[in-house]
Amino acid sequence: MTTMHVIENPTLEGKRRAFVLAEDRVGHYPEFREFFVKRFSLDANALSRPGYVLAPSGMVYALVFIGRSGEPFPDGIEVYALPDALEPLNDPEIDADLWALLRWMIAGVGGAWRVEDLDATGRLYQLSVAAGA
Amino acid sequence: MDASGAALRFTHEEWPYEPKFKQVNGWRMHYVDEGIGDPVVLLHGNPGWGFLYRKFIKPLTAAGRRVIVPDMIGFGLSEKPVREQAHTLDGHIANLTGLLRQLDVRNTTIVCHDWGGPTGLGFALSNPDRVRALIIMSTWAWPLPPAEFHKRIFPWRMMHAPLVGPCLLGRHNALAGRGMYLSVVDRKKFRAEAQSVYENILPDPASRLLTWTWPRWIPLDESARGLARFEWLERELRKSKLPTLLVWGREDEVFDHKTFATRFKELLPHAEGPELVTGRHFLQEDSGEEIAGKINGFLDRIEGR
Repeated sequence: MTTMHVIENPTLEGKRRAFVLAEDRVGHYPEFREFFVKRFSLDANALSRPGYVLAPSGMVYALVFIGRSGEPFPDGIEVYALPDALEPLNDPEIDADLWALLRWMIAGVGGAWRVEDLDATGRLYQLSVAAGA
Repeated sequence: MDASGAALRFTHEEWPYEPKFKQVNGWRMHYVDEGIGDPVVLLHGNPGWGFLYRKFIKPLTAAGRRVIVPDMIGFGLSEKPVREQAHTLDGHIANLTGLLRQLDVRNTTIVCHDWGGPTGLGFALSNPDRVRALIIMSTWAWPLPPAEFHKRIFPWRMMHAPLVGPCLLGRHNALAGRGMYLSVVDRKKFRAEAQSVYENILPDPASRLLTWTWPRWIPLDESARGLARFEWLERELRKSKLPTLLVWGREDEVFDHKTFATRFKELLPHAEGPELVTGRHFLQEDSGEEIAGKINGFLDRIEGR
């Protein structure tokens, strides 16, 4: 498995939410907000539940959508890994999963946004996770 | 370290300066204040801090000038807010204004680069009684059009796109490391002397927030935040009669001198320059002493020394 899969009801028992990334302005380019709205049916679900994705490593991530008065929803996103409650994160694995999350997002946003450009940007800045992409 | 773990002092052979702090708009703002004379304020942009001007301070103070080098809130030794909403163009102009009014500067020369341009010129144009000259380097002060570089998805817009910015520039510190490295001429020297300083002053992902927030404030179209402030900047700058010197990096590919220095020259026909020096966007790294000499020469002329 090399991409992300949206999952509905992951097992949360014995897990903890481990914060890994925050985006305060997901609508900076509005097409990114639209991607998350459509992918997680946020017009209907709103704040009722996080979005869950299964990453290449097998880790499940919770995408917590943030609302802010006066701004279209969602305004922000927090990304949490869901490891076993008392286990530390494997940072290289998290980095690889995050890159897979970004590739999945860019592919979903589409239009002028291309996964090839994301990978090229990662390689330009010498990210090891992008080296083989 | 303070209670938040932020560094309050930085020790380096090229930075022997006593750190000073003022509270501005509720934030702790760091600056250095060296020498005696009319003040010269050196303003950095993204993702730099005062260290970018390390080659300027001695020549300017030796020429009888007071040199003030602030770190923007969010960079250097200043406090680093962890919410994107803490950063606005008006807020940063107000931060600088808060500092310079507390220091009660008069007869001030504003030296600005990158985001130090919109913020420093914002201060200068709203506090004309405190400013006597401008030095403008590799920046802009109008709403549109953006630089060609800033319109491209690869690498610029992709780099700070939603979630990509916090990952690439936050977790991986791409702009303060590789980004600056790519934007100097003598990369070997930069890597040996300075790159780690810029990387290490932003030690944690949360401390790097402004590195992907500032790019999001560059207007790309009519819907941009800050558009009205940039329109005001352009309008007021056109009225300015302040003595001005333009200094540009000959190899600057971001704010290329043929487009950007030329437009400043149209806005400020009385400006001297552009004086071209060896340099890409971070021209201070390649030509610091030379630019300091040009500033001294320019100020000597307008002072009649």
